[in-house]
Parts: sequence; C-alpha cells; structure tokens
Amino acid sequence: MKISIREAGQTKIVEIEGDVDLGTSPDLRRTLFETLLHAPKLALNLAAIRYIDSSGIATLLEVLKDSQRRNKEFVLFGLSPAVQQVFHLTHVVRIFQVFQTEEEALGSA
Amino acid sequence: MPSDPRYLPVVRGAIGPLAAAIGWDESDCRAITLALDEALANIMRHAYHNRSDGIIELECRESADGLEVTLLDQGDAPDRTKICARAIACDQPGGLGTHIIKDVMDTVSYQATPVGNRFVATKRLRKAI
Repeated sequence: MKISIREAGQTKIVEIEGDVDLGTSPDLRRTLFETLLHAPKLALNLAAIRYIDSSGIATLLEVLKDSQRRNKEFVLFGLSPAVQQVFHLTHVVRIFQVFQTEEEALGSA
Repeated sequence: MPSDPRYLPVVRGAIGPLAAAIGWDESDCRAITLALDEALANIMRHAYHNRSDGIIELECRESADGLEVTLLDQGDAPDRTKICARAIACDQPGGLGTHIIKDVMDTVSYQATPVGNRFVATKRLRKAI
C-alpha cells in the first residue's frame, strides 16, 4: 500500500494505492490520525484502492469519529465498484460523506 | 499458512480465480474473497492475538454445488458471544468481519475439535435456468 498527502487550500488530501487489509490498515490509521491534526478538513481518495477489508472500514470509522470530536470534516471520494461493494456489505455507506470526484469532495464544506 | 497478515494477499490471489473457475461472476468472486480474508484475519487477531508464528490450515474445494472452505487453527477458541454481536449499520468500528462472512456465505460454522478450532463455510452456485 502506498500513501501520499497533498494540499488543496485548507484541505489535506490523502491518496492510497493498493490493498488495505489487516497488515496495512495500521499504517493508514496512523497517517489519517496524524494528518487530521493539521487541517480542518481531510479528504481521502480511494480511487486507486484495489482491495479493502473490514479492518480498513473500521479505520475509516475511527477517523470519522475523531474528526467529529475535533469538529473537523472527513470526506471520501473516488470509490471503485470493489470498494463500494465492501461499503454496502458492511452497511456503512450512509455513515460517511461520499463523493464521486475530488472537485465535489473539496466543495462539500 | 502462517498467521501472518503478509500472506493474506497470497490467499486473496488464489481464491478469486478459484471462485471464477467454479462459475461465480466478478462481484461474487470479490465477495467470496473478502469473506475468506475476514475469516483468516479473525483467526490472526483473535485466536493467535496477532502472533505471526501460528499455523492456519486452509482448504478450499469445489463441492457438488459450489465452494467449501475449511480453516483449522490451534489458537484460542472463538468467543461465540462476540460473533455477529455488533449491531449492523452502526458507526462503531470492530465486529464487521463476522457480518460480512455471514452475509456472503450460505452456511458458516465454528467448532472446537480435538485438533483445534474448525471454521467451515460453504456457498452454493446458483446456476442460471
């Protein structure tokens, strides 16, 4: 799994590439919690994710709750059909703010 | 296989093509792969407590009407009170994996046996009429 971070105005955009599973989700968790500290809004690009399991979904739920505690915004965009399928199987799709494109995600505030 | 998450992609790389060869479409293959991955991850986390030196025996075979997956481990037995205990569609992390397994597979069983914990899951292939 590769993680990169860039900025667009006040928003930090985290991009992930590869598989998010039991072995890699701790790295994603550390990155997202750390990045959330330094911006009012965090947008996660999931377009290059090939695979995500329940540990990855649990990580996203933890970050969402942390963002709410800190009065910050955490949004997702670029979900592939494979990732959407896992969101539906775990019944979490309505819990997150999910956008199709980066432009929509950045304009959501 | 060792109870090491580094081996999860190896299993995922095998189970998807097996499910496709039996006859499932791409979406079902992804779901079956996810269910098996979740079952293995549960053993790594809860039976072996994230130790990577445990052993998991894995058998996936085509049955008369679909797929049968058997996992055997010598770690701690699963706590049955925690299987699917998490409320569905809530925002709490944790406990999602057993719901995925139950939703994707047709039958799921957890047994304590003299040779270890045995997990068996089956999925029927529904042929188009």
